[in-house]
Amino acid sequence: MAETTFRARVRYGKTGPLRHLSHLEVVHACERSARRAGLPYAVTKGFSPHMRIAFGPALPVGTAGLGEYYDVWLRSYVPSADVLASLVVATPENLAPVAVNYAGEREASLTAALTIARYQVVVKGGVGLTESLTGSLAAIVAEGVFAVDHKGKQKVFELASTLPKEPEVSSVEGATVVNLTTRMGERGSLRPETLVTAALTRIGLEGRIVSVTREELLIEEEGSWRSPM
Amino acid sequence: MTDLWTRIAPLLENVERPGRYVDHEWGAIVRRDAGYRVALVYPDLYEIGMANQALQILYGRLLTLPDVAAERVFLPWKDMTEALRAAGLPLFTLETCTPVAECDLVGITLAYELTYSNILETLDLAGIPLRAVDRSEADSLVIGGGPCAFNPEPMAPFFDAVLVGDGEEAVLEIVAVHRAAKARGASREETLSALAALPGVYVPTLYHNDGNKMVATGGAPAQVRKRVLGDLGTFESPVCPVVPFMDVVHDRVAIEVLRGCARGCRFCQAGMVYRPVRERTPDAIVRDTTAALACTGYEEVSLTSLSTADHSCLEEVLRRLTRRLEGTGVGVSLPSLRVDAFSVGIARLLGGGKKTGLTFAPEAGTQRLRDVINKNVTEEDLIETVTKAFDAGWRRVKLYFMIGLPTETDEDITGIGELVGRVLTAARAVTPPAERGGMKVAVSVSTFVPKAHTPFQWEAQIRLEEVRRRQTVLRAAMPRKGVDLSYHDPNVSFLEGVLARGGREVADVIEAAWRAGARFDAWTEEFDHKKWDAALAETGVDGTTIANRERALDETLPWQHISAGVTGAYLKIERERARSATPTPDCTFDGCTGCGVCGAPGVANVLAGVRHG
Repeated sequence: MAETTFRARVRYGKTGPLRHLSHLEVVHACERSARRAGLPYAVTKGFSPHMRIAFGPALPVGTAGLGEYYDVWLRSYVPSADVLASLVVATPENLAPVAVNYAGEREASLTAALTIARYQVVVKGGVGLTESLTGSLAAIVAEGVFAVDHKGKQKVFELASTLPKEPEVSSVEGATVVNLTTRMGERGSLRPETLVTAALTRIGLEGRIVSVTREELLIEEEGSWRSPM
Repeated sequence: MTDLWTRIAPLLENVERPGRYVDHEWGAIVRRDAGYRVALVYPDLYEIGMANQALQILYGRLLTLPDVAAERVFLPWKDMTEALRAAGLPLFTLETCTPVAECDLVGITLAYELTYSNILETLDLAGIPLRAVDRSEADSLVIGGGPCAFNPEPMAPFFDAVLVGDGEEAVLEIVAVHRAAKARGASREETLSALAALPGVYVPTLYHNDGNKMVATGGAPAQVRKRVLGDLGTFESPVCPVVPFMDVVHDRVAIEVLRGCARGCRFCQAGMVYRPVRERTPDAIVRDTTAALACTGYEEVSLTSLSTADHSCLEEVLRRLTRRLEGTGVGVSLPSLRVDAFSVGIARLLGGGKKTGLTFAPEAGTQRLRDVINKNVTEEDLIETVTKAFDAGWRRVKLYFMIGLPTETDEDITGIGELVGRVLTAARAVTPPAERGGMKVAVSVSTFVPKAHTPFQWEAQIRLEEVRRRQTVLRAAMPRKGVDLSYHDPNVSFLEGVLARGGREVADVIEAAWRAGARFDAWTEEFDHKKWDAALAETGVDGTTIANRERALDETLPWQHISAGVTGAYLKIERERARSATPTPDCTFDGCTGCGVCGAPGVANVLAGVRHG
């Protein structure tokens, strides 16, 4: 008989120096937090039993995240506020969980469900750059397709689908901020810094990206977006 | 204290695996305002150094002192050292990003001979003068310790002091002496004299070479005897070690279940220098393991020692632990197994469904040679062990052998091939025909390097061309099918031999090699023997007279002023017994063999129960 489990969904951040961690390092760190927190986690059956835990889409080394997610299955129900409290004290500050909720057993996996990502890319350079970068990005969007070389292979993104919203460029305290929303498809996801770098190259600039932050991950359902919590 | 973080951070955008440099791991203790700062250096990459148990032990011990900060330091990979030098930045500690040169004490692990060039790179990157004699009053105190401290001479000029033996108590005494010296405004010279008065502390500048003998001056002891922690139970095994984010080697929490090994393998330096045997009690092991898993959140615990299967209460410990951990997905592992049926039983108990591979070390191919080296394993044991393992479902075993052991003949070498052949036959006999395709016997063959403080310390290491000839003999004798044969690079073994048994003159060679760019010599793809050959030529040191020469028994050896407790007389007797292929029993099962280590007060074997050989 299958045991009854409870699917706790944890929203957490990957910030500060810890944005330099790889996805696998984040996975291991979160698993260890869950064990330290003393959560009654469920264990997979089979030859190599391990914690039942599943993560949302990976973040690359160097990219920060403010709203990342994992699901951890518990053998017994623990109020979500208690799950959160015990995780917070057992997790390094820069990977701290910020919210816990229960998700339905039948809901799609996080990787399948989270297809919309909002990013913020900060670029060195003030008002002048803001204007030229706006134009340069608009020109790329107007072309409709964007080709990326990935490990010797070319990946082509259809921008009408990949960029469900126009990129927004603004000037903030002497820096230029690009807000990008991307849609992740089966054929991969567009790294925002790749697009911004291409736009910078067109205006003869490079090496100006200060930081990349994924601010939010969303589920797209029947044409509208919602938080997974 | 200078915090370099804001200047280091931008460099992380362009280096490989920046996780090595970010700190903030679980269990890292930050004490910005401490009055005394210790840098604990492991001279290799983060992912290697973080597996070092001594580092975690000393970290925990130092942090029991109020007002003392202990901070980890690893050598950055080449891209990062380049970036640091280009930015004019020095090597920094992880916890607070303090320049290493601003620490009061810099402790460096002497883990392995091939990390020596990295130690010079560490000092240079830190901006600390390489040689003790060039350091000023303002410079940090540089202290070494670890396995290679038992022949400190090749590295002696680069250290202010070297601790020989167990560090748990000694590091606290060293810090106390140094702090007291600072408080009274003592000079560097006075501080070093005070340190030399501590048992187990060797201050190289107080010894000079007088016709091959290192002679003590300024009140330093004629012979420095290693420190021994009488009872491991005095301190708990570190239960809240730093938990790395990165995937490091041995990525699990380690509980040291015993220290020392009295099996008496005559080639083994660890077996001689870490005596006596000191077991932790089962209660302490279960208590520390439970606490460590709760504190770290690790998914695996390793019960470590030189020979864990020898622990008198291992079965009880494993029964208690596996019962506690049932259903948690948390596993127990052992670092090494003996060649016997007991070990296969243990492996079955631990592995659950996982049968990844078992490793055994028969070391030599014939019974005669195994008797010479006192490796108390018979062919029968090995065949029975392998049969049990394959019968239980394992399909892969790894066997370790050495070539170049004293008295070895070609017959012993072809004996390795024949033994492997019989292992394969035995394994095949109990493996269902459909699964025989997946069978694999990995055979790893290293070249014997004689080490200080062993019965073979007087022996000649075989020359490079002879290594290659014996490898050819071995290849011809090895079954082709089902065997993966690998060798150690003979050039690496030669260098290891020079660094392991050289005297103080070898320091010039190490410095010359480092100046020529030698780094990360322990990394196969980084090791370049040409840099070392050139360094030997440049300094006029003949490496072959160090590595490949048999010493007379009355010759003064470069490490004679260091005592591991085991007497020279015992080593000579053991050498004689080796020559007549006479085994010596293990004193934890049979009677005392008179090695001499238990002569010192409070030093004796400590067993938690009755051992079964």
